[in-house]
Amino acid sequence: MTEEEKFFAWLDGELEPEAAAEMEAKVASDPGLSRMADKHRSFGQHLRGVFGPIADAPVPGRLSAALRPSAEVVDLAAAKRKRSVGSLPQWAAMAATLAVGIVVGTMLSSEGSAPVSVEGGKLYAAASLDQALNTQLASAPAGDVRIGLTFRDQAGYVCRTFTQSGSSGLACRDGDRWQMRGMFAAPEGQGGDYRMAAGMDPNLATLVDSTIAGEPFGATAEKAAKDKGWR
Amino acid sequence: MNQSSSFESELAELLPRLRRFAHSLSRNPADADDLTQATIERALRSRDQWQQGTRLYSWAYRIMRNLWIDTARSTSRRAGHEAPEEEGLTVGEDPRDAMDAAVDLKRIMAAMARLPDEQREIVALILIEGFGYREVSEMLDLPIGTVSSRLVRGRTALLVMVGEQ
Repeated sequence: MTEEEKFFAWLDGELEPEAAAEMEAKVASDPGLSRMADKHRSFGQHLRGVFGPIADAPVPGRLSAALRPSAEVVDLAAAKRKRSVGSLPQWAAMAATLAVGIVVGTMLSSEGSAPVSVEGGKLYAAASLDQALNTQLASAPAGDVRIGLTFRDQAGYVCRTFTQSGSSGLACRDGDRWQMRGMFAAPEGQGGDYRMAAGMDPNLATLVDSTIAGEPFGATAEKAAKDKGWR
Repeated sequence: MNQSSSFESELAELLPRLRRFAHSLSRNPADADDLTQATIERALRSRDQWQQGTRLYSWAYRIMRNLWIDTARSTSRRAGHEAPEEEGLTVGEDPRDAMDAAVDLKRIMAAMARLPDEQREIVALILIEGFGYREVSEMLDLPIGTVSSRLVRGRTALLVMVGEQ
């Protein structure tokens, strides 16, 4: 290892303690090396700062799409194995891999039949979920979406909780659309009706508590809100 | 969770990081996303080669790197030095921040693209992705001394290029 390589290995924390201490002393006693260390340290930070947001940004739909069950790359055996997971759709399975409570925006698609779409950094209900939020009443479940509570948030917007194939979430009115405020995957192996019987996801309940103003709507208020276009 | 769903969800979880790696290898965001897509497709097709219990990220990074060497690199050679239009990149909600970040990213990507490939991949893996020397030497199947010397040359050249801009 050249002295230069040793210097950078020290900077990257790659030297054994003894060699590191030696290099540390050398750098400390040499203003030129100290400046170089500072320069490269801040350059490293700059690099990570520039590329970091990519890993935090939502993944474009066409990329995550390949990992959804509709993707044609899966072979028959794999498709069969997947069906055996139960009714949990792929986006929910992905959500389950994240820390509970994190909005799954990075995993979702703006295309096809995904239940949410990403636009301008915001997550909206889409497809069957959007339709269910617009039209369904809690008393009359239809399709794979069940509506739970309807209420107004502290800013006065109508919000609704829902359950779809084991995942549950909260969406609130934003113009003519439903903006997702949170979505939570069911614990592993706990899909569909079992979770309905078990009551509201505790994370969702916490989110509702921090969002709701007053009481949830009763059946009459829910129907009236629907008739007024959820204004 | 069975093997299939764990493979796919782990891969999905890796996507943001793989995408970042793709950006540090590619000349522009559009190429980076093409590379990411090709990597996912290759990983799904080669899933039988991944052994459960081994590190999926190492395997996936290696797939991306090999694909980049096989295809993306020759494509960018063909494209020459004509800089394509920047694709929009979502980075934060504030449009001003997003714009500054996009400009910085464009500059760094341009500088990275001028590094020799064998230095670029090592700078990307160690300085941006945060892997250790040993891990990168295993991932790329290179002696650790080679990793270390390429890293020195790459980071030094990159700092000079970014300083010039």
